[in-house]
Order: sequence, then structure tokens, then C-alpha cells
Amino acid sequence: MDVISSSIKTYNIWFEISGVEVGQHLYWQIGGLQIHAQVLITSWVVIAILLVSVIIAVRNPQTIPTDGQNLFEYILEFIRDLSKTQIGDEYGPWIPFIGTMFLFIFVSNWSGALLPWKIIELPHGELAAPTNDINTTVALALLTSVAYFYAGLSKKGLSYFEKYIKPTPILLPINILEDFTKPLSLSFRLFGNILADELVVVVLVSLVPLVIPIPVMLLGLFTSGIQALIFATLAAAYIGESMEGHH
Amino acid sequence: MASTVMATKPIALAKASPSLSPRKISIRAQAKPSSTSIPNLKRLTSKLLFSVPSIAMLAATPLPALAEMEKAGLFDFNLTLPIIAIEFLLLMVALDKLYFSPLGAFMDARDAKIRAELSEVKDTSAEVKELEEKAVAVMRAARAEIAAALSKMKKEMTAELEVKLAEEQARIELELAAALNNLEKEKEEALRVLDAQIDALSEEIVRKVLPTT
Repeated sequence: MDVISSSIKTYNIWFEISGVEVGQHLYWQIGGLQIHAQVLITSWVVIAILLVSVIIAVRNPQTIPTDGQNLFEYILEFIRDLSKTQIGDEYGPWIPFIGTMFLFIFVSNWSGALLPWKIIELPHGELAAPTNDINTTVALALLTSVAYFYAGLSKKGLSYFEKYIKPTPILLPINILEDFTKPLSLSFRLFGNILADELVVVVLVSLVPLVIPIPVMLLGLFTSGIQALIFATLAAAYIGESMEGHH
Repeated sequence: MASTVMATKPIALAKASPSLSPRKISIRAQAKPSSTSIPNLKRLTSKLLFSVPSIAMLAATPLPALAEMEKAGLFDFNLTLPIIAIEFLLLMVALDKLYFSPLGAFMDARDAKIRAELSEVKDTSAEVKELEEKAVAVMRAARAEIAAALSKMKKEMTAELEVKLAEEQARIELELAAALNNLEKEKEEALRVLDAQIDALSEEIVRKVLPTT
């Protein structure tokens, strides 16, 4: 303890820049309830980035696409292909959901890794990727749950609930449990990956600030992109799974 | 952990209330450094035994007594969850109106147009083949005509030529015959003359050679 406190005193200026505060949030109050303001602020920035870039790139579509339009056409084709592979032929109505899921998580994760949030100092807590907060990831996972329930019910009606006893009725408890583990695993996978990556980078930066953290940051970019893809793919897979096998 | 236990300020103890929040992984300096001299074990254990009941008492006090900022942790669910959900749904609608639908429709229209043009091109190529075949047939017919006309002309020409040739040959033969006749006549004449001369000459020779008797 003594050793740590003395090193804290010596390198205080560096701690001010590279300190990490897990579990510290900036609180706003609405009525009797609290809000993690830093998550809201960063999510607004992410939404602004998405909407502005989309508006600029897709303004006058040309037959031979310009660079921005080409990029967004590629993204749309990618999302379409992903949805079609997982959901099947009726993938059309689900493209906005899967696409927004993928883009929101991807831009959130990369904004947390690439944008210099620490420049803006908050009175309490700090700005980071909005997906490093359990509220965000659980919200997205619950939306996915609602989506696949809605998909199954709207396609099959009440006979959707037959799937709980489908292979054999013995598996009923497991099938019910699956409805809880699906959103749980989705949310925790994303939350754990993003928060852990942030922590690793911050701790490394506080220890060896110059070149060593860079491979870990690149790995973080890679895995956070993969996590966005995984979340979107699993959401599409759950939707496809609840819609399948009717006719 | 030891440092926070050692500090006796209630706020510091409140920070250390373990039952409500996971341990902050903060590497910011927390308690005053001066009070964290390395304890010996006995003092530590006695302090622990002493402070556990006080911590329990403080934990029992109602929530507002604790600093609001410090009760949070990693798993802090609050109004943020539904707000993010609503933001996501609004973003979904906005992106659909601005990006997925318009660009998707544009891309599909472009694909359909390209496909239509491709099939059109395939059709006109069949037409083009037809026209080509017609052209080839016409060419063949023309060539056949020309060849027929050519051969006809050739036949006529050769017939004419043969006629002319026969005529000329006949003329030439006649002339040749006439010339030969002339030559024969002249030969006979010459022979007659020579005969007469030969007779005379032989008389001379005999007179000259034989002694004159």
C-alpha cells in the first residue's frame, strides 16, 4: 500500500489523464429516476454520426456510384446478405432492425476506441463507448428478444408456442430457459467485450503510454467490429429461427 | 482495502461498504496517504473486528445517508435502459426512411434496368444474326449469277474463236497448197531446163574428152 501511494504521489499528473473509473457514472435525474448521462451523450454523438454520414452520402444516387455512395451500398448489401442467410426469403421487413443493430453497435464500439473522449472532462465519470454500459447492451438484447417473439407470433400466431415442446416435451424447461439465456448472453457478450477492452487499453496506457498499447488497441478495434457482427447475426438467427418451419 | 478500513472517517467507510457495490478498480488516490502506514497484523485484525460492526451499522442506515455518487457499480440499471431502447427504435425508423429504403429501392431499380438491357441486347443479337444470314444468302445468289453469266460468255467466246480459227486454218491451207503447187511447177521447169543443159553439157564434155579422131 505504501509503495502504491508513493507512486500515486509521484505520477499524479499522469493519473489525472489516464485514470480509469469503473462504475463511476455521471448522473442526471428525471423525476425520481436516474440516468447515466455519459451513455446518453455518447449515444447522441453516435446517432448524429450515423445520420449525418448517411444523409451526405446518399443524397443524389448516381448510377455509377461515388465513393461514399459505394461504401453505403456495400454496407447495405452486406446487411441484406446477412439477413437473407439467417432469416430466409422473408428478410425484407427485418433489414432496418438488423441494419440499425449492426451499425449502432459498430459505430458505438469504434467511437469508443477511436474518438478522444477524454478531452471532454465530466464532473463525474467519463465518456466512453455507449456499449460499455450494461443498460445499453441489455436494452439492445431485450429489443432483440421482443423482435423474435414478435416475428414468431406474427407469423404463426399462437401456434408459435408449440416450439417449446417441439422435439420432445421433456425439453420444455430448457426451451423456456433459452428465452432467458438468449438475451442474457447477447448483452453480456457485448458488454464484457467492450468494457474489458477499454479497461485493458486504459491500464496499459497508464503503465506504458507510448507504443505498447497500440497492438492491443488494434485488437480492440477488430474484436469490437466482430462483436457488432455477432450481435447482428445472432439477432437475425433468432428471428429466423422463430419464423422457420411454418410451411 | 486495508487503507480504507484504517481510515476512520465515515465517508471513507461509506465508500468501502462492500455489500452494495463491487470494489472500485480505481487507481486514483483514495484516502489520505499519511494514514496508510504499513499496519502490523494485530492492529489490522483488531481494527477489522472493530470496524465490521460499524460497517454493518452504516450499511443499515437508509440510502440517502450514503454519498449518492458512490452507490453505483457495474450493474446499475436505471432509466437509461428504456431511453436507449427508445433512441434505438427512433434511429431505426430514421435510418429506414433515409437510407435503407431509398438506397435499396435505387439499387433494385438499377439492377432491374441492367437486367432488362442485357436481355434486350440478347434479342437484338438474334435479329442481327438473321440479317447477317440474309446478307450472306444475297451475296451467294449474286455470285452464282455472276458465275453463270461468266461461263456463258466464256462459251460464246470460245465458239466464236474456234470458228475464226477454223476459217483461218482453211485459208492458210489453201495458200499453202497454192504455194506448194507453184513450187512444184517451178521445180519442174527448172528440172526441164537443167535437163536440156545437161544434155548439151554432156555432149561438150564427151567432145572435149574424147580425142578427135
